[in-house]
Amino acid sequence: MTTPPAIRIEGLVKRFGAVTVLDGIDLAVPTGEVTCLIGPSGSGKSTLLRCAALLEVPSEGSITIGDRRLDFRTESGRPAKLRHADIRAARSSIGMVFQQFNLWPHMTALGNVAEALRTVRRLPRQEADARAAAQLERVGLAARAGHYPAQLSGGQQQRVAIARALALEPKLMLFDEPTSSLDPELTGEVLNVMRALAADGMSMMVVSHEIGFVASVASKVVFLDHGRVVVSGTPREVFARPRHPRVTQFLETHVDHAASLLIG
Amino acid sequence: MTFDPAIITAHLPALGMALLTTVWLWLVGLVASVILGLAIAVARLYGGLTISLTLGSFVQMIRGTPYLIQLFLLYFGGPAIGLTLEPFTAGILSLSVFGGCYMSEVFRTGLRAVPQGHIEAAECVGLTRLQTLRRIILPEMLVLVLPPATNIAVGLIKETAVLSIISVPELTAVVNEIGSETYAFVETLTALSLCYWGLVELCSRAGQAAERRLATFRFAA
Amino acid sequence: MTWKLFFLLVQAAGSTALISLAAIAIGVCVGVVVCAGALARNRLLNGLSRLYISFFRGVPLLVQLMLFYYLLPALGVEVSSLSAALLALSLCTAAYQAENLRGGFLAVPRSLIEAADMVGMTAAQRFRRIEAPIAVRLMLPSMMNEAIAILHASALISVVGVIEVTRMAQNLSSSTFRPLPIYAAAGLLYLIMTGVLAGAGLLAERRLRVRLS
Repeated sequence: MTTPPAIRIEGLVKRFGAVTVLDGIDLAVPTGEVTCLIGPSGSGKSTLLRCAALLEVPSEGSITIGDRRLDFRTESGRPAKLRHADIRAARSSIGMVFQQFNLWPHMTALGNVAEALRTVRRLPRQEADARAAAQLERVGLAARAGHYPAQLSGGQQQRVAIARALALEPKLMLFDEPTSSLDPELTGEVLNVMRALAADGMSMMVVSHEIGFVASVASKVVFLDHGRVVVSGTPREVFARPRHPRVTQFLETHVDHAASLLIG
Repeated sequence: MTFDPAIITAHLPALGMALLTTVWLWLVGLVASVILGLAIAVARLYGGLTISLTLGSFVQMIRGTPYLIQLFLLYFGGPAIGLTLEPFTAGILSLSVFGGCYMSEVFRTGLRAVPQGHIEAAECVGLTRLQTLRRIILPEMLVLVLPPATNIAVGLIKETAVLSIISVPELTAVVNEIGSETYAFVETLTALSLCYWGLVELCSRAGQAAERRLATFRFAA
Repeated sequence: MTWKLFFLLVQAAGSTALISLAAIAIGVCVGVVVCAGALARNRLLNGLSRLYISFFRGVPLLVQLMLFYYLLPALGVEVSSLSAALLALSLCTAAYQAENLRGGFLAVPRSLIEAADMVGMTAAQRFRRIEAPIAVRLMLPSMMNEAIAILHASALISVVGVIEVTRMAQNLSSSTFRPLPIYAAAGLLYLIMTGVLAGAGLLAERRLRVRLS
């Protein structure tokens, strides 16, 4: 008996009005592995991640998280009405890290991480704070627990955001371009935390431009273009022997940039 | 033109009472305005189209007419529909509705200015909509809302003077009485001006101090 | 609510409109002067301007009305109630407009000023071609709000006996004993005038729209 995937996406379609952003996506993230989504801007990778987090409600298809399956079109063909309670239940095993960190400015780092434990899981303050402190320790920011987001660097804020997501012990972590808003020297600290998470066996779905990171950490790379999966495979398969012209074109712009950084 | 401060000192007890009345009217009106304004803003943002439009029309009517007319409507027009109020009560009620409508507009802008990302982050960690409102949206909104809300609070101090017209025994009414008894207009009007000026300065300073303390919560870039 | 009564109110509304517009116009002119004073480097000028703004924003309009109505005669200056009212309204709004003007100029992005310096404009040219036009567009909304505020404030001049909408409504309701419909009608007239003013403001904003991203 094999373990079910952390998340399975089938036939996912997402339309915004007349525009189809996701045009039939089939994708699964095996448990304990890292799947990275790459592709040009407008390819739909962020939308796909946000659908997985149920921040956008798909127009068609289904998402199965663990053993909970959500269908977005009923047999009659009309879009299913999802109750907020169902969405929250489905999200309880997912953690999300945003490009803009989205830390709450009126709470300290510890406060941000402990908030859900106190308010949602209803843990007593001391226990919530202790668990939050442990998560901050895990991302290397125990010393900054009492600082407000405005007093932290971008990299530190993102690490607090990761700790906040981890505090709820999710089975799947979603990362939406976690380092795109960071100055180049700060991306390393965040990527290292993500590497450690992967090594610990966390199931992860990551949208990222950091090709080096993707190549070294991902078990599977999925290339999206115009809302469709163009190529999907191991990093070696996708990067070393790209067969699709769009992939080659995309890699040229990105690998060139990285290469010039190494040379210069 | 003579200036005789003794007239003021002679009537100090009465002036003191009147000042307290003014401050009391203002504080009650202010608190009621904040509560009402928040209720209207939240109802309009989350209550559906009909509620939003109905409340919106009411707010527009209050903001589109002078406070004096609203006061007269309530105090003189009220009895015609069975609502006979004491001047004091009419004053508090009308001040609260007036202030509440202006506050509601300020709160609406503030509520919408909370970054969508912060709300999404709350949803992703599992907070219910009510919890998100209480723990995230309202606190963040407070910082944004303080400057315009302070302006409205200052405005309310000055509107309390209008209540003298319907004989509420607040500062302006009492000082006018003293003035017409003693014919000492210069002294009384000077004292009156200084009292309000002082109250307004105090309120503005308090608002600025509160803004400074909340400045640590500037949104991180 | 007979048509005759309503017509009387409408006539009075004409007075309200005229008085308000006059106060707005005078207020802007005086406001420009006061603002210039508040931005001046001369300590005396600066101090006086700031005192002026603080006083007229810190004291209720009703009290200011009384000041002009009772104190000027005491100083030997004879004023009609209309003049006292107009004086109070204009000087009061001038203080608020001065603040609006100051806010507008402060909000002009530093980068645009530096760009003007870099292409070699003199201070006067920079003011005329860059700062003033942008500042005006930025301050338009708050100036419009202030104009509406003066329209509403004009209701208070009824206290010194000037015949405008509120005074007329007071007279009519005490003679007909029907305050509710009369004050409601007065309110309606104010709403209409407010709407016209707000509409004019929106039109002006649309014509002069500038986006500083």
